[in-house]
Amino acid sequence: MRSIGLATVREYRGMGVTSRLAIGLFVFALFVLTAALVSLSLGPVNISPSHVASIVLSPLGLDFVDFGRTEQLVIEQIRLPRIFVAALVGAALAVAGTTMQGLFRNPMADPGIIGVSAGGAVGAVVAIATGLTGLFFLALPAFAFLGATAASFLVYGIAAVGGRFSMATLLLAGVAVNAFLGAIVSAIIILLPNNEALREILFWLAGGLDSRSWEHVQIAAPLILLGVVITLAMARDLNLLMLGDDEARSMGVRVGFTRPLLLAAAALATGAAVAVSGIIAFVGLVTPHMLRLILGPDHRVLVPMSAAGGAVFVIVADTVARTIIQPAEFRVGILTAFVGAPFFILLLIKNRRQVYSL
Amino acid sequence: MAIRRISLLVVPVIMLLTLALVACSSPTPTPVPPTAVPTDVPTATPPPPTTVPTDVPIPTPIPPTSVPTDVPTATPVPTPSPEPTPNPFEGVRGIVDPTNLGWPREVEGLNGLVSIPSKPFRIITASVGHDEMTLALVPLERLVGVGSSTKNSTYSNVASLVQDITEISRDPETIVAQSPDVVVTSPFFSAEAIDALSRTGVPVVQTELKHDPEARINSILLMGYIFGEEQRALEFAKEVSDRHDALVAITSEASPRPRVLALTQYSDQLWVAGGNSTEGGVILAAGGINAAEEAGVEGNQTTSLEGVIAMNPEVIIIAQPIEFGAEEFRQSLLVNETLAELPAIKNQQVHVVESKHFTTLSYWNIRGAEDLARLLWPNEFPEPSTEPFSLAE
Repeated sequence: MRSIGLATVREYRGMGVTSRLAIGLFVFALFVLTAALVSLSLGPVNISPSHVASIVLSPLGLDFVDFGRTEQLVIEQIRLPRIFVAALVGAALAVAGTTMQGLFRNPMADPGIIGVSAGGAVGAVVAIATGLTGLFFLALPAFAFLGATAASFLVYGIAAVGGRFSMATLLLAGVAVNAFLGAIVSAIIILLPNNEALREILFWLAGGLDSRSWEHVQIAAPLILLGVVITLAMARDLNLLMLGDDEARSMGVRVGFTRPLLLAAAALATGAAVAVSGIIAFVGLVTPHMLRLILGPDHRVLVPMSAAGGAVFVIVADTVARTIIQPAEFRVGILTAFVGAPFFILLLIKNRRQVYSL
Repeated sequence: MAIRRISLLVVPVIMLLTLALVACSSPTPTPVPPTAVPTDVPTATPPPPTTVPTDVPIPTPIPPTSVPTDVPTATPVPTPSPEPTPNPFEGVRGIVDPTNLGWPREVEGLNGLVSIPSKPFRIITASVGHDEMTLALVPLERLVGVGSSTKNSTYSNVASLVQDITEISRDPETIVAQSPDVVVTSPFFSAEAIDALSRTGVPVVQTELKHDPEARINSILLMGYIFGEEQRALEFAKEVSDRHDALVAITSEASPRPRVLALTQYSDQLWVAGGNSTEGGVILAAGGINAAEEAGVEGNQTTSLEGVIAMNPEVIIIAQPIEFGAEEFRQSLLVNETLAELPAIKNQQVHVVESKHFTTLSYWNIRGAEDLARLLWPNEFPEPSTEPFSLAE
């Protein structure tokens, strides 16, 4: 069975890019669709699959059974936006993770390296601690996004000299800024006078998709899609950058332009994801890593597949999180870490010798 | 030049050493004022260990025969009744020897066995619920330090009483500075802080306050025993018990029992109070059915709007401070189209309630049950609930 699987993977990797992309997209589109439909059918309010299908098809005039108004509202106003946000967040984190692992040529890299998550956390914690979240409901995502992008600019600003920087300096700058921002979060938590705000912060830090609305989709979608599209457009250059700066330059890549652009795209997508979901761990690390083992290291295939894979991962994780103890909820960020960490360790043990051979 | 360089080095070193010496030799930051000892207390000096206390009167509900037979009593006159009245402290969890009403006495806290050498006159408790309990049992002047939450009227039912009391923090130093005779803490107080306090010789008892009626009475009796206020504890336990029983006598007969959901929102998070939660206990005492508990929720958990729909409440109570957007949340529920079919929304049965009556773990949650009973059964309870609890004198 294992040899058949390996043979299939080898055969797949031997195909041309277009074929690999077509097959991969077809398979992952099926996965995404299945995950979304299953997620749509599950929840504390019991809605039969036929009603779910009818509600989903009703805008096209294809509804085939009668359904209740509450059922329709639950699907349209609660489950659907949540699934969309889950898909967007998963896609953003996985694509950003792919970019980071490619740029750093390190399978342990994830979007958090450039301080996006820690910056988002500072923004969110400030919004909660100052009570701004009570004044207008988009304060939290707005502050988290500002924090995330500001942190990534700070890391880049520290590392870059005249628009040029080394990845090692960027990594060290990221470590320092992450530590500093983490200290700010800790300081605010310790000095916070009220328990409610403290509880909010801890829950935000654990990542979650509860109460996501179409407004959250509208906030996150343009930014995440822009980040993903930029990364897709630069996928070939990302392949060449993995060979080293000199080789990439010799093959026509404008390293000084491409690398910051890829970093900016990753920061943009991750910042938007963190803004609407809090910190969801391991998606940006596990998804690209796992897919690289199956699909190979070609970013022209890996980037779109990571987007789809990340979307599936977060949709499934969130479905489990909101149904496992329903009508109460679990935090999706904790669940992704529970599942992601052991799975990642297992993959590492099984594939210690074959990771990263372009 | 060299001399100047050396002096530049030496002068700061001398200054640092001087500062260190001053810091080490300085007295305790907050010396214990002798006037802080209550005037009605005969002496602050702990009495020698005796089996029968000399400064604590035998509680009136306990006749002399309740003193254990193996304890030598002051009057060896045989009592007319052959059957001794049961010791009311018998069976109180945490009291090691209920027959020992003298000092030292031992209690079993969550942190283990603790010996209290003498009647404590300077008391500190490290939680709002414990502070509320303490003020019912001892005069105000014996509480020598409270946390910021106890002073905050958003969380505390005794805030107005404690504004002049020294504020302490979780830093053991702020507690030690008040020279307490005993410290009673909640389970959330860190083990390190308890260890640090214990090493300074302060008896620290970690106890858990629970919302159910039996545990509530147990806590009152245990804390009364710790503070050497057995009689007051018995009186107050009766007051609390009577008040609870009077309420339940009416609410348990009322029907049909409505499905009540205790719902709050902080930021984007929706929270419900399920079984074994403080709010859940209040709902049951008020004669409601806890909708979250019925749906299988235990304790305080997050949920979604869909979860709220699934719980299908007939009444929603928002036990959330006004400062944290309770009224705005109520309005948002009433206009939310997704919830429009819920009985609670259709019948406009969404109420903001006084959160500190619903979330405290002290006896004050009986007041929460009274508040809720008046919402659920307006005919049975036509008058507003305003009766305060008695305080120790």
